[in-house]
Parts: sequence; structure tokens; C-alpha cells
Amino acid sequence: MRRTVLLLSVLLTLSLLLAACPAPPVPQEAQPAPAQEEAAGEAMAEEGAMKVIRLGAAVSETGKFAREGKDTRQGYQLWVDWVNDEYGGIKLGDERYKVELIMYDDESDPDTTARLVEKLITEDKVDFLLGPYSSGLTKSASAISEKYNKIMIEGNGASESLFERGFKNLFAVLTPAGNYTQSALEALAAKGAKSVVIAYEDTAFPTSVAEGAQKWAKEYGLEILGVETYPKDVADVSAIMTKFKDLNPDVFVGGGHFNDAVLFTRSAKELNFSPKGMVITVGPSNPKFVAEMGPDANYIIGPTQWERTMAYKDEYFGTAEEYAQRYEAKWGEPPTYQAAESTATALVLQIAIEKAGSLDTDAVRDALHSLDIVTFYGPIKFDETGKNVAKPMGAIQIQDGNILVVAPEAAAVAELIYPMPSWDER
Amino acid sequence: MDQFLQALASGLLLGGFYAVMVLGFSIIWGVMGVINLAHGEFRMIGAYAAWALFRAFGLDPFASLVIILPVMFVVGYALQTILLNRVVERPHLMALLVTFGVSISLANLYKVIYSADPRSVPVSYNGSFELFGVTMPIVKTIIFFLALLIMGLLHTFLHHTRLGKSIRAAAQNKDAARIVGIEIHKVYAITAGICIALTAGAGAMLSPTQAIFPFMGPPFTLKAFTITALGGLGRIPGALLGGLLLGVTELMVATYVPGIGTNLGVAVSFVLLVVILIVRPQGLLGGLRPMEVE
Amino acid sequence: MSTLTQAARPSLLRRWGGLLLWLLLLALLAIYPYTGVTGSALFTATQVFVLVTLASNWNLIGGMTGYVDFGHAVFFGLGAYSMGILVTRVPLAFSPELSFWQALPLAGLVAALFALIIGLPTLRLKGPYFSIAMLGTFVAMREIIRILRPITGGGTGLDLPPVLNRVNEYYFMLGLMGLVVALIWWIRRSEFGYTLIAIREDEIGAEMRGINTTMHKIIAFMIAAFFTGIVGAFWAWQNTYIDPDVVFIEQRTVEMVMMSMLGGLGTVWGPPLGAVVIYFLQDVVWGNLLNFHLMALGILLILLVLFLPEGILGSLGDPSSTSLGRLLRRAGRRQE
Repeated sequence: MRRTVLLLSVLLTLSLLLAACPAPPVPQEAQPAPAQEEAAGEAMAEEGAMKVIRLGAAVSETGKFAREGKDTRQGYQLWVDWVNDEYGGIKLGDERYKVELIMYDDESDPDTTARLVEKLITEDKVDFLLGPYSSGLTKSASAISEKYNKIMIEGNGASESLFERGFKNLFAVLTPAGNYTQSALEALAAKGAKSVVIAYEDTAFPTSVAEGAQKWAKEYGLEILGVETYPKDVADVSAIMTKFKDLNPDVFVGGGHFNDAVLFTRSAKELNFSPKGMVITVGPSNPKFVAEMGPDANYIIGPTQWERTMAYKDEYFGTAEEYAQRYEAKWGEPPTYQAAESTATALVLQIAIEKAGSLDTDAVRDALHSLDIVTFYGPIKFDETGKNVAKPMGAIQIQDGNILVVAPEAAAVAELIYPMPSWDER
Repeated sequence: MDQFLQALASGLLLGGFYAVMVLGFSIIWGVMGVINLAHGEFRMIGAYAAWALFRAFGLDPFASLVIILPVMFVVGYALQTILLNRVVERPHLMALLVTFGVSISLANLYKVIYSADPRSVPVSYNGSFELFGVTMPIVKTIIFFLALLIMGLLHTFLHHTRLGKSIRAAAQNKDAARIVGIEIHKVYAITAGICIALTAGAGAMLSPTQAIFPFMGPPFTLKAFTITALGGLGRIPGALLGGLLLGVTELMVATYVPGIGTNLGVAVSFVLLVVILIVRPQGLLGGLRPMEVE
Repeated sequence: MSTLTQAARPSLLRRWGGLLLWLLLLALLAIYPYTGVTGSALFTATQVFVLVTLASNWNLIGGMTGYVDFGHAVFFGLGAYSMGILVTRVPLAFSPELSFWQALPLAGLVAALFALIIGLPTLRLKGPYFSIAMLGTFVAMREIIRILRPITGGGTGLDLPPVLNRVNEYYFMLGLMGLVVALIWWIRRSEFGYTLIAIREDEIGAEMRGINTTMHKIIAFMIAAFFTGIVGAFWAWQNTYIDPDVVFIEQRTVEMVMMSMLGGLGTVWGPPLGAVVIYFLQDVVWGNLLNFHLMALGILLILLVLFLPEGILGSLGDPSSTSLGRLLRRAGRRQE
């Protein structure tokens, strides 16, 4: 018994040492109080010729968000390499600051995210934080950045509830979930659609999307015939499709995750449910969806945060298409919108820092609030909660295997095909 | 009425699939008392195999069964020989944990190989046909009848062949079977081979109707528990009854409860599991094995 | 049962030596926040305490009583949701900090009450049937929470006030962990504990000796549920938001089982040891394997069951019982 207790004590002590190891040796930094950014920045600067701005992010490399996490990382890294090697560092007054980005793997787990964000702030002494992937992890992370009064700017947490907690340090460049279906529904209503049914996965992000869809449907005069929810990891949606088929709606709006997009399309065809327009929230804008579904993917409409064909441009990355080419040259694959919004996230931070002319949290926060710009990713203007209210959501339609932007009109490259041919007419 | 018939038809088709999906799980449990927590993962492997064969050679998922079944039989045989035979006679927790370890490893291995992006097999005949005013999905109808055929064949095998009879003997009384000269571990390995092959085959058959992704397994393993509890252990008619009951119940609840129907359908299937275990632990039809074995 | 025979020997040092060392360690841990560590080191330690507490709780029902609970995270989830609902939906107190203390015991009670309700029928089930019934309960509860949208926020979940204080959180979990481990230590030596082990070894025999096995099982189950609920409530507070998919995750039960297994089922110090080892193995070693680390976890689990089925402590107690134990003993002999 004693031996085992001894063993246990030794192990626990060892583990505590391990936990304490990465802690800085400076004793006065011990209390986890809001640290002064400048102090850290200057301390770093003495080592090299160029001063350094430290950024940190916990982004999933493993776990359920591994795929999107990879896009997010590549998007961030693209900006870091560009700003250091091509742009010559962030301009702060007359000086140029080199950017150092510390990224950790949060394993798609909220506990790990919280721990790593805390580590980034208290041990790595980062000046600013970039967001993780997904609304849930952003929620965990933003509570901590708020506590330490650090600005966290993100591009991958769209859930509206993120911005209802009164945080003053959280900013998001992407269009919030409530507006996801706006452009699509507006375009469909303009084409003569009169009624809509909505099915959504009962988790945070799809719920926000669906609530928004109901709001916009009313706005554009579409009658809501039915609303259905389904649980995560659902394997069969026949009942929803059967019910909707009997309601005979003009437009179907559905979705949660990529898997559901496959399931909905398959079920609709299997049960011969042919609405005049099918809007699926997540999936259609991803080229992999077309590759996997084959011709069944045609005519499906999906919202998109960004497409390379959009007409936006800025003085840093050029047009959206030029950004996409740069991304392909670097990573050997076309950018997803998750990648583009991650680059945009970092770019907006850079612009705000340059505008503020300081690394002070309050100054940069003020600068962020006063931004009203257009980037390759779209227009950026934050409201008081930190949401980007300027950027409309785009809508794409898959036409003959191509993903084409059909709304809003300013960004459209193709005409929306409505009504879509029914399954047996194809 | 139309809606009722449609829900009933969809429920039966889903149930037929459930039945063939659960067979492997139910028989492994019934014969050797091992609860295979990696069950859903073998279904996932079958689906990926069908997908890969379709992408590489344009092979139809149903035709690919000819390759998948024998290969997965060998995999199952090896799994039993290497891992499960070591724990099969130890406390049941051991087997649970081993199969759980297999489950995590396989799901994550496939994530590394195929990434987390969902895959799908777009067969050309994935539409529907009308039957008495009910819309019948073609693929799911094929699965249903194939499921019945497989169950019939398996039943014949277990009851009318020497090997089948030794499997049943091993299930009913391990020690007696040993005494009459049945090599228990070899019988177990063959059983596992058949069951894993069946499970992977079910996955391959379903691949045209669903998204295929590395973490699709666990929800099906949980469903398998409910169906087995409903129908009883290791019995083919039980698996069929349990599958059909669950399929129809889920679809009926989902169809007639507005708004949250599909959520409720899923919840009901798990509440049912707990209730059955408490009220009638031997399943509705009774099982191959006495339930109070421990 | 080596630990049983050891504990039965009434040597004063053996009886109290362990507790003394444990108290010493507690004192050491108590001054830890003042040794110049950062918030994230404190947070890491707090997470380890959470795991130790959970594993110890699970061990009470799964290890000592022998009822392998595959859905124990249901109590964690109920505790978390009780905290979430009480703090956000019920006007409890004037400040968020106060409402935490008011909601905390209630969260534990809700979990314990649910353990009573679900335990009465399920604890009659034997072997794997209990495990599956609890797994079913766990999944059913997740879906029910999802459906009760007006109360639980459905799939969107609930946002708690983001009041974070790492030092307080550290001390809270340290205290709770100390309490739980001490309680388990005491139970292990009490009449009650011996009865639980008797139930594990031979339930029918225990019944025939006139022991009210149902009552003992229920009480053990309720204690384990109570503290798991408290930990869940704490976690909800610390994570600042809850939804069904972060609270009701199978992984949490799996962690409890694995940690208890690794340390040694039914021992007092095994589960804490297992929790510490697994946490740091995951973090330090497997963190470097990136994509493969969960796969490695699965393989480790298999190897553990095959070669170290009695856990670290079980194998140390009787080195010849496992192949690794024999190996360790051989290595030790060579050194002497």
C-alpha cells in the first residue's frame, strides 16, 4: 500500500512539474492578470533586428474538425508567409513588425481548446488571437480571451449565440449563420417561389441557419409549410422527406453538415421528392460534393461565404481569383471558403493594427470597430457585437457539374435555374 | 392513408436493412458472449471497400460483395484468432474493452487513409418506382430482398450443415461441445469470419444510399444493441423481427410527430432498449443463450 | 485479491501511512498556485483533478461493486445541465458566483436522484446487460435533452456567465478530488466497502448471507452519481457553455473506464494513478503523433487488456499475475 501511494505521489509531483515546466521563469508574471502586450512584444524585439508581433491560435489538426482545421491553418499560414516575406512585415508607424504565429492542435475538444488558449495568453504571451474552427470551440476560446482582455478575431464560428454574450473582444469576418440563406431565398422568391419547407440538424450552427431562413422566408413572402429537426448523426431522413413531399413546397431548405447534404439528396431522389428548388446549407459549395454525388448534385443550391469567381478585391491579395491562384500555388489544392475566411481574418487584424498604429488592445479594438473596407473576401464592417454586417452571403447552384455563383446579383456569374427539373425528367 | 402506407413501406425497408446489419453482431454475441463494440466499424469498412471498388473499377456495390465477403471473412477469422480468442473466456469487460480498442483504432485509421470527407457511391439506378401509390426506393428494395435471402441462407447453414450445427452446439453448451470433440476456438473463428463478412457486406449494400465517413460506425453499434435486445440474441428470426419493429417504430414516430419527429424516433429507439432490458431481458422471442449466463 | 489481504492486516503504519502521505501531497498541491505558475498550468492541473475525481467515482460502482457502467457520463451530463438550467433560467442569487454555489449541490442531487430511479431497475441486471442498459440510458438522455428545447436550449445548448477564475477553480477541484478520494479510501476499509466487494465476488452468496445487496448497490451508485454530477456542474461552469454534444460524449465514460482499468480496478489509488498517467501520455507523447494519436489510444487499450488486465497496481501487488508483471520482477531481480 505504502509503495503504491509513494509511487502515486511521485507521479503526481512529476506531473505537476511537467505542467509547470513551460511556465516562464519570471516570477512577477505569476499572477494570471491581463498582461501588457507591449512588454512582451518589446522583450521579443531585442533578440532580432525586426520587432515581432506574436499571434496565437488553437486550430484542430485531429478530431472531428481535422479537415476544416487544415483549411483554417493553411489560410492563416498563407497570410503569415505573405506578410513576412512579401509585404515586409506589419507597418506600425515607421517600423515594420515581423509576425510570429503559434498554432496548436486543439484536438477538436473544448477542454483542450480552453487550455491551449490559456497557454497562448499566459505562457506564449501572444499579442492577439486568431479563432479556432467551429462555433463550439470558438465559444470556449472566446470566453478565455475575454477574461484576459485579448482580442480574438475569427472567421470560422458563425453561430449567432457567439455574439449574444456581450463580449467586447470577439470579432468575426464571416457572415453570421442567420444570414446564410438570405441571398438564395431572395433569388428564389424573385423567380416566383411561393412556399418553403425547412429541415435542420438540432445543433447550434444549423439552428441559427434555420431560424434565419424562417426570418428571410417571411421577409421575401415565402409561406413556411413545415419545419422539421433531426438529430446529429442521423442515418435516415425518409420520414422528413415523405412529409415534405405531401406538402408539395416550392423550395426545400435543409442541412447541418456535409454528410447530411449527401443524405438529403439521396433521400429526395429515392422518394421522388422534387421541389422546384433545393437549398442545402453545407456541402454543395464544396467541389467534393459534386465529385461524390455525380449528376444527382445538379441544380442544388447552396450558400457560400466566398467563391473565387466573386468580384471582390483588395490591395493586398488582389482579386479573389488571384488569391485562389496564390493559394493553389502554395498548397497544391484550390481554397475552400474556410481557407479564404481564415486568411481574411488575419488580414483584417493586420489592417486594424496598422490603422491603430499600436498593439494596445483598446486601440486595436477601436480600429476594428471603425473599419469599413473591402477585401478579396468581401466587405468588412463590424457592428457593436463584433459581427460582420457588411458582407452578404453568396449562393451557388451546381449546373452541369460546375459550382456557379447565382446570387447576389453583384457577384453572380450564372443565371439561377428555377424550377429545377424533377428527378424523373432528368 | 397514403402517408401511413408510405411510412410503413419506408419503415419495413429500413427494418430489413437493420436486420441484415445486426445479424453479425447478434450471432457473435449469442455464440461466444462477446459484445462487439467494433461492429459499426466493420460496416464502415465494407462501405469504404464498395466505394473504393466503385471508384477504381466502376464495380457495382452489389457485385463487389463477391470480393468483399471472402476478404472480410479472412479478416474476421484473423481478428478472432489473434485477439478475441484470448479474451473470450475471460470476464466480459475484457472483450468489451478489446473490441472498443479495435473500434477506435479502425475509425481513426480510416480517417487517416480516406480523410473525414464523406464519400458516396452514385449508382445509376438510385431512383424510385411506384407500387400501389407508394414510392419505393429501388436500392433499398433490392437491399430488403437480398437481406431476406441472406437470412434464409444463413438459417439453412446453421441448421442443416455439420459446421453450422457445431456453431450452435458451441453456443448452447461450450463444455459439452468440447467433450464431443468440437474445436471451440476454431468454431469461434469461423463464426467471427462469417459475422464480420456479413456486417461488411451490409455496409457495402448500403453505400449507395448514405454518406460514408470514418465515424459512421458507433451510432449503428448502438442501434444493433436495441435490435438485439428487441429480437433476442443470436436468432435470425429475432434479428428480422427486431429490425422490422425498430424500423417501423422509428418511421411511424418520425412521420406522425410534427417538428421533432425524427429526433423523437431516435430517442424512442434507445428508451426502448432500456425498457426491454429491464422488463424482458431475454428479448421478445427468447434467445439462443440463456440471458443470465454470468 | 492482494490488496484485500494487505488491508486486513491491522498494522497501524499500513493503515494510516497511506493517508498521511496523501495529506502531505494535498498540502503540496495546496501551495502549488503560489509557486509562480501560469493560468494554463493551473488549468491543466484542474483538468487532471477532474479526471482523477471522475475515475475514482466510476471505480466505486464499476471497480468495487463490479457493475461496469458504460453510461456513467449521463450523470456528468445531468449535473452540467442542472447547473446550466439553474444558473441561466432560474433567478437564484444576485451575483453569478453565488448562484454557482447554490446550483452545485442541487446538480449533485439531481444526478443522485436519477441514479436512484434508473438504478433500481438496472442494477438487477447482470453482467453486460447492466452495461448496455446504462449505455442506452446515456444515449436516450442525450436525445431527450435535445428534444426538451424550451428548458435545455435543445441542440443549441446554454451559455453560462463567463466568470472564470483559474485559482478558485483549481482549489475547488482540489478540494473535491481530496474529498472523493478520501471517501473512497474510507469506503474501501469500511463494512460498506467489504460488502460491495462481496457483491462483486459473489452476489448470490452475499444475498444468502442476508446482505441487502440492492440497497448497497444503490447507495454506491448514488454516491458515484452525486459526485460525478458535481464534477459535471463544475465543468459546465468552467467551459462557459454546454450543449448535448459536448456534455454527453461517450469518450468521457471511456476515459473513466480506461483510467480505472490502467490503474487497477477496485483499488483506491489505481484510478487516480491511471488518470494521471493517461492524461500525460495523451498530452505529451501522443500529441506528437498527431493524426495517429487516437489510433494509438485504441491500440494501447487492446494491449492493456491483453497484457495488463489488472492494471498497474494490481500487477505490482502480485507481480506474477501478468506477463508484464513477471518481466518487471525479472528486471528488479537483476538489479539486486
